Amino acid sequence: MSEQQEYRFQVNLSGMINILSNHLYSSPKVFLRELLQNATDAITARSSMDPVYKGKVSVEIAGIGEHVTMTVEDTGIGLTEEDIHQFLAMIGHSSKVGKDFLANETSFIGRFGIGLLSCFMVSDEIVVLTQSAKGGPSMEWRGKPDGTYTIRKLDTQLAIGTKVYLRCKADSVDYFEPAAVEELLFYYGALLPYPVTLVAGGQQKSINASQPVWFAEPELARGKRREVLEFGSRLLAEPFEDFIPLRTANGRTGGIAYILPHSVNLNARRSHKVYLKQMLVSDKAENILPEWAFFVKCLIWTDELQPTASREHFYEDDRLQSVRDELGEAIRDELVRMGSLEPERLQRIIALHALPMKALAAEDAAFLNTIYKWLTFESTYGERTLGELMNEKQKIYYTATVDEYRQITHVAAAQSLLVLNGGYIYNNQLLDGIAYLNPELELERLMPEDVSLSFTDLTMEEKNSYYDMTRLADVTLQRFRCHIQLKRFKPSELPALYTLSKESSALRSLEKAKESSTDLLSSVLGNLGASFGESAYSTLYFNLNNPLISRLFAASSKEMLPAAVEMLYTNALMMGHYPMSRQELAVLNQGIVRFIDWGLSANAGNGGTSI
Amino acid sequence: MNYDFETLMDEAYDLPDGLAKLEVLEAAARYADAEGNIEQGYEARSEIVQTAIFHGYPLKALIAFSWQLGQYDRNPESFASFNLMWSYKWIVGQISHFPEIPLHKIEELVEDLGKRYKEHGYDDRTYLYYRFRTAMDLGHMEKAQDYMEQFQKADRDHMSDCEACEQNQIVQLYSLLGEHEKALEAAKPILSGDMSCAEVPHITLAYLLLPMLHQQSEQEARKAHVRGYRLIKGKRDFIETIGRHIAFLSSTDLKKGIDLFEHHLAMAYDHEDPFHKMVFHLYSAQLLQKLAASGSKYRPRLPVSFIGTEEDTSLERLADHFAQLALSSAQQYDTRNGNSYYMEWAEEALRP
Repeated sequence: MSEQQEYRFQVNLSGMINILSNHLYSSPKVFLRELLQNATDAITARSSMDPVYKGKVSVEIAGIGEHVTMTVEDTGIGLTEEDIHQFLAMIGHSSKVGKDFLANETSFIGRFGIGLLSCFMVSDEIVVLTQSAKGGPSMEWRGKPDGTYTIRKLDTQLAIGTKVYLRCKADSVDYFEPAAVEELLFYYGALLPYPVTLVAGGQQKSINASQPVWFAEPELARGKRREVLEFGSRLLAEPFEDFIPLRTANGRTGGIAYILPHSVNLNARRSHKVYLKQMLVSDKAENILPEWAFFVKCLIWTDELQPTASREHFYEDDRLQSVRDELGEAIRDELVRMGSLEPERLQRIIALHALPMKALAAEDAAFLNTIYKWLTFESTYGERTLGELMNEKQKIYYTATVDEYRQITHVAAAQSLLVLNGGYIYNNQLLDGIAYLNPELELERLMPEDVSLSFTDLTMEEKNSYYDMTRLADVTLQRFRCHIQLKRFKPSELPALYTLSKESSALRSLEKAKESSTDLLSSVLGNLGASFGESAYSTLYFNLNNPLISRLFAASSKEMLPAAVEMLYTNALMMGHYPMSRQELAVLNQGIVRFIDWGLSANAGNGGTSI
Repeated sequence: MNYDFETLMDEAYDLPDGLAKLEVLEAAARYADAEGNIEQGYEARSEIVQTAIFHGYPLKALIAFSWQLGQYDRNPESFASFNLMWSYKWIVGQISHFPEIPLHKIEELVEDLGKRYKEHGYDDRTYLYYRFRTAMDLGHMEKAQDYMEQFQKADRDHMSDCEACEQNQIVQLYSLLGEHEKALEAAKPILSGDMSCAEVPHITLAYLLLPMLHQQSEQEARKAHVRGYRLIKGKRDFIETIGRHIAFLSSTDLKKGIDLFEHHLAMAYDHEDPFHKMVFHLYSAQLLQKLAASGSKYRPRLPVSFIGTEEDTSLERLADHFAQLALSSAQQYDTRNGNSYYMEWAEEALRP
């Protein structure tokens, strides 16, 4: 045999089906989606040849128990013998392949061959009867999961279209239950633009009788509130109370964003339903909206995005990116619109979804400016919205961190300053932004040293008399890069106030890492630490109004002062939850021992009476 | 806020990457330290390094990493080494951005990285690749070209940067050398989409703007600008890249350039990476200069933190301000690097 023979790879079809059902598709139920997609493609193709033609799909379930069969019939373009060979006989070969497809872009959703194979997940035999609109004899194709199939020309002439017969597999009875099929057909085909009917048990039911016009024209949804909410609740299974219409500028993507009626975690999976050509392709599309938009669940239609092989997501490409940006803008614009026209509505949304609103506002100045009055903050005047706090007609201060707030809140309250806790997630960024956007607002970042502005300075006379002691205390804490200040302030119960700038906070963690790193990196950190200047000093304010401090700084306790100052310093660190360096821990330990020693000798001196 | 470690970590995991997340992670690390729990301190810092390095906080990343490496060296069997070794690359990749760190220590760090990779059984490719990148950052361009050839000959392994990242660095080198044709040629697999990752083509496109402008057309370059800017706007990590877009706009569209400048100034203002800031400052100065020279009397909108320190906000004054910032950084780098690369670069950009 000198002639060259052509061989084909043998593909184990049952293995393929296993792969399909276990890896490509999330559940066998998608066979109905695939069949509806094939029907949709066939109807689309026939419509393009004959504009007056109106397609329809009917699904019939017959028989009971293990003898159930399902027929899915469409009046679409049908298949010629050649088509059958091309689409059904070769896996992976579908109407999408080839130059024609590229020209048509996404006018066809499915891949006929693969789609049909998914039926083997629920049926051990597939029979396709078809008559092409292009003429020729009617054809029958019978396929088995072992990969064998037969094709035969029929003697009778069928009506134009395609019928697919499935025979229920023993373990797939559930997928042939009329109620379940009805549910799935609605789920996948509720929006199909041609009638889909289900015949079972002698009854005929329309699956998609009412076609919501507002879905294709989302702007109309505003006038049909109740209908829109009910429809969304049925398809998305959540009791919605509010929604936002979506539409991109080119009109090729749109839909409804339903506001979730409960708070969600920031990293919650964002599952939206997306219809391609009015056919559901994905009910877990995550990447079609920006990340911050996780407080909505959407019904979206599009004809411009490319589904992935499983058709459950979309390819991450430039077009998806711009669709995502635009849909995000539509949501944002609507929220901005609410801010000026329906503030109560916006307020309800903010109350439910504070965190995502803050995340969005932190990135988007215009949005921030719309919503800031309704953001709630912890303050020295209680937990209030910024709008309410602004009505106090007081200058508003905010801290950068929770620690700062905690350090100065009681001091600030004692001076009746209005201070917001800017430390919680996003608050600081938002407050910086609000102050930037609204220079007329009296909103200012409170530096720890600002609180001290309202502290009373010592008189010249006092300064003179405390000069030596102040200096001694300052020298004591010099090695910890901490300044001391002697002031008078309320409340007098408070002996000392420790304040730490951002820089000194960074320096503290740098020093800490330096202690425990490798030699090389420690010296690198040393180089970096050396460039921190004066600003990296922390400050320890001593309150002369406090009786203890006033006694301590009296000239007679010169001997005790350094140790006491060190103890107050380490105490302040512990109160502020700052991890201590080795040096600081050593000081604390020595201090405790020394004070016990002093206490004992003082007791011994006055005859051993205890307090 | 009486949160314990687990609560803080859970809260952090729920947050998108950024400053808010870092602050919660730092609180968790402080908590672990105060409790003396090294394992938890290590866990929190792993997250800090990862979040900080990609969001414009290289110093926070370096501090956390240094602590980790110290703990690891004391007890190597207590920690999984792969992630630590992987983050070492990030640290070494940015260490030269701090002008306070002397040249010999940068060298020692790259050597230490190479030594550790060898000990862990990795090929030389990653080490040579970081030699190449560091040399490029230090303005040692001949050395960089040398290392570029060397690293490409070595084998890839699990420690290697992804192909897109490597290719991107090659494009950068050619673009910086002014070899526009080579830059465009090297960028082909990136532009076609065959190579991409979380930072590519984001960064690459910015390096191609001028080559495209010179070799192809303004229209091509503009398309790359629109595409590239959309990928990076709003992301702090790309402030240097935004600077390069401003450079492109300052020779094609001053109005749009000012928009970018106003939009990103606040982001640059408290950025932790002095090198990225220098690039942003320099090209902002260039833009403001050109706008002033066109006779415009525009007053840019500035963040509060900035207005506080500058009384005069005329274009001329601002141009001068940012030029001084850029030049003084350039001078610092040159002094450290022992060459005149950055001063020449900056003076060239500022030449009217």
